[in-house]
Amino acid sequence: MRSTFMGLEASKRGMFTQQSALYTTGHNISNANTLGYSRQRVNMEATLGYPGTGLNAPRTPGHIGTGVQAQSVQRIRDSFVDSQYRQESNKLGYWESRTQAITQLEDVLNEPSDYGLAKTMDEFWKSLQDLSVNPENGGARSVVVQRGIAVADSFNYMHKSITQLQENAGAEVGIALKDVNSILKQIASINEQIKAIEPNGYMPNDLYDARDVLLDELATNFPIEISNHPSGGNALAIAEGSVTVSLRLKDGTTMKLVDGKDFAQLRVNSTSNEGDDVTPTSMVKGFYLVKLDANGAETNVKSDWTPSDANVIDYQKINNFSDLGKLKSVVSSYGYSSDGTDTGTEKGLFTDILSNLDKMAGAFAEEFNKIHMGDTLDPLDPTDTLDPKYPQGTDIYGKAGSEFFSSKNSNPISASNIKVSQAIMDDPGKIVASDSTPDIDPEPGNGKFAQKLANIKFVNLDDLGKVSVQTYFEGLIGQLGVDGQQAQRMQFNSATLQQAVTERRASVSSVSLDEEMTNMIIFQQAYNANARMITVVDETLDKIINGMGRVGL
Amino acid sequence: MRVTQSMLSGNMLRNLSTSYAKMGKLQNQIDTGKKVNRPSDDPVVAMKGIGYRTSLDKVEQFQRNIGEVNSWLDTTDDTFDKVGSAMQRANELVIQAASDTNTEADRLKIQSELDQIREHMQNLANTKIGDKHIFSGTKTTTPLYDEETGYPEPELDPMKKSAFEKDVEIEVFDGISLKANTNAVDLFRNIDKMFQDIKDGTVDYDAAIGTIDKQMNDLLTARANVGARLNRVELMDNRLQSQEIIATKQMSENEDIDYEEAITNLITQESIHSAALAIGSRIIQPSLADFLR
Repeated sequence: MRSTFMGLEASKRGMFTQQSALYTTGHNISNANTLGYSRQRVNMEATLGYPGTGLNAPRTPGHIGTGVQAQSVQRIRDSFVDSQYRQESNKLGYWESRTQAITQLEDVLNEPSDYGLAKTMDEFWKSLQDLSVNPENGGARSVVVQRGIAVADSFNYMHKSITQLQENAGAEVGIALKDVNSILKQIASINEQIKAIEPNGYMPNDLYDARDVLLDELATNFPIEISNHPSGGNALAIAEGSVTVSLRLKDGTTMKLVDGKDFAQLRVNSTSNEGDDVTPTSMVKGFYLVKLDANGAETNVKSDWTPSDANVIDYQKINNFSDLGKLKSVVSSYGYSSDGTDTGTEKGLFTDILSNLDKMAGAFAEEFNKIHMGDTLDPLDPTDTLDPKYPQGTDIYGKAGSEFFSSKNSNPISASNIKVSQAIMDDPGKIVASDSTPDIDPEPGNGKFAQKLANIKFVNLDDLGKVSVQTYFEGLIGQLGVDGQQAQRMQFNSATLQQAVTERRASVSSVSLDEEMTNMIIFQQAYNANARMITVVDETLDKIINGMGRVGL
Repeated sequence: MRVTQSMLSGNMLRNLSTSYAKMGKLQNQIDTGKKVNRPSDDPVVAMKGIGYRTSLDKVEQFQRNIGEVNSWLDTTDDTFDKVGSAMQRANELVIQAASDTNTEADRLKIQSELDQIREHMQNLANTKIGDKHIFSGTKTTTPLYDEETGYPEPELDPMKKSAFEKDVEIEVFDGISLKANTNAVDLFRNIDKMFQDIKDGTVDYDAAIGTIDKQMNDLLTARANVGARLNRVELMDNRLQSQEIIATKQMSENEDIDYEEAITNLITQESIHSAALAIGSRIIQPSLADFLR
């Protein structure tokens, strides 16, 4: 036999449940613009019917419903879309930083323009042509010196600016690593909270969202792999549990970064005394993994968190990392070891450009000096013969020439240290413009040698791989342009793809105000209807209590 | 598919920013007049741009050089013209002196005029352009005729040339050099020797007439050579002028924008942009909240 007041209870449950659904709707609307928020839904469930099963259960016709309850509050999310999103983030992160680095380089090189290195070289060529026409003119000679200084300054300036960019890229590596390390720590801390809440049968939806935002951020830095581990206790079946996060390498193997409440940190150096160990001071050879204990003491570990060999500290070589993510991109701008060891040759966007400029400045200055000085017999080597390619010329005083370009330090001439030699700056008359024989009779009006000097710009040089300085620089700019174009295209493509995935994700998870409004009406109406139901039950009870047994009254 | 407000507004924002980027690029093109402002805009155009700038610089320089050759040759021609008239006068004087009707006083007068002509010739041999002696070979800072030592002695070894006999060559195009000076040291020395001989009386006036004719002949040959070279300079100059037009045109075709096209594109982009703004503002405004009481 059912209870007299059962209807009241069923409708009360209805009111409570609709109210929690209404509150969840309110929560959704409030968070409509929250980053990473997934809309939530109250999973309603009919309560067990009356009567329940059992030996002593009363026999009634039919199994009467007893109302509703909120079984759980769940966020609406598609983890497949999440992993797609993160894959695209890897690519976007990589190409975005690369585009940025190349744009900076283009700004420094400033080509094609009327102010770049190519123009300075052209001006130098012109001044030498003028010298060949007016070799006896002191003015023409001074102009050659000044234009020569301009060429050297251009090389110096570029070298300095690009080195500056490289240092900035190094700082960026440090910032990216700090960022990554902080994210890893936060994920571990969220994991810990989740593990504390879930066993009580709750769904910490907002913590899941916060964790997914962190994972999204982490994925812009490098490719990651995620696996979920359910919490024990009374956790719901739909609870997500804690995540294990690993970095995926080129060959598919992984480096464990977060496991439950434990996490590792990335370093570019094994623990050292100087610096913060995340900002590189020389080329990056790979990444070290360290674990922190409760006191903050660091221990080096291998990829699977087994302790590292104490003598030779294990690290993951840079060439094992795939070309994905911002971290690898800034490292390859900054400079890295080609084989992941200390002895490997340094490579990298800025490094390569710098070495190319060095090569160009060195080859040009060397050839210029060789022609300017001419070949002389080595007094110590009796077998030495004069190189017919480099005959000696004479300056305005009829003397053989000395170096035109020299180095600011003791190293061979490169873009960083090229300058016009002091002797030439002090006396432009020492520029070799004449092709007469030294020490005989000065020929101030002879400018044939200056013509030869001018033409060096167009002569194919062995040091540059049998191309001229002019062509070499054109090639350098062309290569930079092609790289930049590719980076921009890839950035655009991955941004478009990511946008598509974001759209799909928004389609699943984002809050639609219209939908929430509709839900609001639905839940409000249901709430009202439940209240009306209680009134109806109240009226029936009124009939029983006040209207029954009063026959004839 | 479920479509939400955030998707609409996100899409709108993204499209607006793409549209802004396109307008920015077009605006940059119109402002600078260049299709390409950094190598990644178009690597090939950027690379070619550097090359074309160099060729243009070369043409400009060669034009400057050819101007120099021209002034050398013009001055040489003009000097030879003066030498010619002086020789003409000397010829008249010698013919007059050869006549037996002259008194000793007349001859002395003639001789003093001949001396003046000789000095004039020496000055002509030291003609300068700016600070350059044009007849001094590659020793342009030294005058050909020295007050003390006279003209330089001829080089005895025919295989060797003294600096006074060397050519001044100026590059007027890639690998093409023109000789700018004229080696007139022999000519001037011979003329001077002739005057000396007349003065010393080692030749009589009749014989001197023949020598003058011979020198005139040599002078004409030298002048003809200068004239021929002037013609060549003119041809080269024409060639360089057309080269300049070609190089400028090539560079312009390579990297300059077509204004009509760029402005049309900008206007098209502008109208797309305003359409996007208008539609966007209409779509994202209303929600169900506006219609519920």
